[in-house]
Amino acid sequence: MNGKRNKVMAIVLLLMVSAVSHGRIKLVALPERAATVIRLDNPRATLIEEERVLTLQKGLNKVDFSWKAVSIDADSIRLRALDHPGNVTLLNVSYPPNEAALVWEISSEGDYAEKVRISYLLSNIDRLITYKAIADKAETAVDLKSYLVLRNFSGEDFDKARVLLDYGESFEQGIDHEETKQMLFLKAPKVPIQKIWTFDAAKLPWDPEQLENMNVGIPVSYRIVNNSQSGLGEFSLWGGKARIFQDDGHESTIFLGEDVTSMVPVGEKTELYIGDSRDIVVTQRKMEETQINKRYNNDRTPRLVLYDTDETITAKIENFKDSPAVLTMIQHIPGQWDMKNCNMTYKKKDANTLEFEITLPARTGDGPATKELTMNYNRRNLRPGVDIRPMPTPMPTMQPVIR
Amino acid sequence: MKRRIFSLFIIAMIARAGQAKVDLVTLPTRDTVQLTIYNSADMTLVRESRALTLKGGQNKLQFSWANTLIDPTSLEMLPKANADKIDIADLTYPPRVQNLGLWNIESGVSGKVPVEISYLTSGLSWRAFYMGTLTENEETMRLQGYVRVTNNSGEDYENAQTRLIVGKVHILDEIAELARRQYPYGRPGEGIAPPIMPAPRGRGVMDDKRRSFALAEESVMRSPKEITKEGLSEYFLYTIEGKETIPTGWSKRLLSFEVDEVPVVNLYKYEEERYGASVVRFLSFKNDKEHELGETPIPGGMLKVYRNAGDEGHLSYTGQSSFKYIPVDEDVELNLGAVADIVVKPKLMDFETDNYEFDRRGDVSGWDEIRTFNIEVKNTRDISLKVEIKRNFNTSYWNLTRSGDFGEFEQVDMDTVKFTLELKPRSVKKFEYVLRTFHGTREDDWRR
Repeated sequence: MNGKRNKVMAIVLLLMVSAVSHGRIKLVALPERAATVIRLDNPRATLIEEERVLTLQKGLNKVDFSWKAVSIDADSIRLRALDHPGNVTLLNVSYPPNEAALVWEISSEGDYAEKVRISYLLSNIDRLITYKAIADKAETAVDLKSYLVLRNFSGEDFDKARVLLDYGESFEQGIDHEETKQMLFLKAPKVPIQKIWTFDAAKLPWDPEQLENMNVGIPVSYRIVNNSQSGLGEFSLWGGKARIFQDDGHESTIFLGEDVTSMVPVGEKTELYIGDSRDIVVTQRKMEETQINKRYNNDRTPRLVLYDTDETITAKIENFKDSPAVLTMIQHIPGQWDMKNCNMTYKKKDANTLEFEITLPARTGDGPATKELTMNYNRRNLRPGVDIRPMPTPMPTMQPVIR
Repeated sequence: MKRRIFSLFIIAMIARAGQAKVDLVTLPTRDTVQLTIYNSADMTLVRESRALTLKGGQNKLQFSWANTLIDPTSLEMLPKANADKIDIADLTYPPRVQNLGLWNIESGVSGKVPVEISYLTSGLSWRAFYMGTLTENEETMRLQGYVRVTNNSGEDYENAQTRLIVGKVHILDEIAELARRQYPYGRPGEGIAPPIMPAPRGRGVMDDKRRSFALAEESVMRSPKEITKEGLSEYFLYTIEGKETIPTGWSKRLLSFEVDEVPVVNLYKYEEERYGASVVRFLSFKNDKEHELGETPIPGGMLKVYRNAGDEGHLSYTGQSSFKYIPVDEDVELNLGAVADIVVKPKLMDFETDNYEFDRRGDVSGWDEIRTFNIEVKNTRDISLKVEIKRNFNTSYWNLTRSGDFGEFEQVDMDTVKFTLELKPRSVKKFEYVLRTFHGTREDDWRR
């Protein structure tokens, strides 16, 4: 690896020959570094630790630390004496003008070949995490693999370094400037998954018939819980891109889709959106919307000041799949409201969000499995022109085509 | 133009001697290759098997992919034998070299090891399209489904098992964009590196090598290949029988299915707000057993509809329609465009207002509007057909009475109704409806 790149960092020992000195005299150059550690436990910054031997003389020593073509946070640089911590004292740090450098003033109580540890935050070196999951044919579990991707664009070559993550064993790895390395670091077989179909009435078009030649895909996700039942749960799963495949039953796989997961702490779950189902079709319609309990003011031309509404929404859900499915349907009713009649049970997720879990059997010989949600509700105390919360706009994404 | 796009070398490192002694071994070509091509995104999963000759100890395997559209982050290698003795330590993308990856392999065995290399590439695509041929009486249609596979990947895939995926896959990045990145995973602190490599283009000129590919294929084929279809997750997998050779720049059309007599309904729709004053023709059938279909969903595509004309097998072109993905058991309605031979004429025959209410000042505060519509539906064709008429009222405060030959009646939503009529050849039907709408304070008195 010699002569591969110009060395970017230099440590120079300045021996103070006399008490008063102008300029810095560089005398001892480039002590070899050893025991380099790359700490990647903080996703925002990478900490480098390295050990060097400084030849210190009794009295005041000036050590010049400079760097070129690398981006070091100068305020982050720390120095620690390892052999004689009680006898070697860092007095101050000076930053010379217009230079990527600093000068340590070190007081030493003896002549030592002192081992010191220098640590600093280095930019443009980091790690990514990617996931690859292979689901079984029945979609009940995935074989999960996680890769660590080291990216070094820092300007520094690391011949051999210990790489530390926020958990697990450290490992030795060299990485050159502009090099990217991908390593397998987690293998978890048979992680249970739950497959979820979600129809959110605020996000998807209501009436597919209004869309000329367009399918409304129902988003499909896999839910994975980071706990011991899953064979995980030892540490947070870092965020990253996940590619999901499926065993096709022919000793091969197909690619199902990809998503980005954010960090999943222990005990928490993540949902990976893999693709859309076009075999579950939801047709939602507003069948009734009238104003009731109207109150007018006392003007000679009375003006409507307060009213309720009476609204009926139906949603037909058809499962064209030859397997059962559980659809999570999310409905939104703005403002103050009372449910009058609803033929299915729901969970109130918040003041204006209703969640239905609708179990759909498989399609039969007679056709798709069909269920219909009907909800009749009153919205209360509406005032013309005073919209506390606007209605969600369930408009189709595509306007009907006039031919 | 000879291009070797992939190259694979094994560098067996004699561990003690370090880098001084490096053996470079060129690998045999791939033994088998399987393509799984998507159509909702420009993406293909390639899986190939090769036999590596490994030495005990540390091995370096170099894989390069210049001039292709491979996503380097998707590369994976798995040993298919002795998996417990072969450790793929890392995959390195070395500095200042592009389109090259280096696998560091620690092998406990020496000799031939079968491995599987998989990756995602762009540049291969497929689409479905259809041909429909109506009988003269337009009661049934012969339906032929085709798939067309196109290879613009920059790589010739010879004798590949070819599979097609029907479905909408969620992806974050375009594979072609990932393939053109300067650094496979980008640089820290930056988004996406600008593309530096142009996409390879398909070429129109057939050189000798390519011609021989095509000829060989034709001479071997005796009957159209079968395409088997099976469901996987939310997708459908089509597997084309046997092997396919599709050189880069070429595409190939294959018959996906053929059904002789699909019963069809000639459906005509009238809805002013959507189609204007014209009647629009639809061809309707169902993807089910009764219609000789229903084995699998039908992927979306363009359908060209013809009609048999005369006894000598002549055809007349009826029109074309693109349609969406059709699940099993779902109805299909193919829009063939506006027609003039079916006429729907709604006429306002009477208009009156009624039930006035007044406020304290004596101004009008509420009233009803009553409209009488007369609708004439005329079938000038010599076949039986069905007509759907939708009427929108722009208010939810309405009542309706109807009379005459209105067929089936249905309230579609709060302000839309639908009349469905069956018409015999060359016939006319008439019906009437009276629409009462409630306005102002009269809305309070509305009951249906």
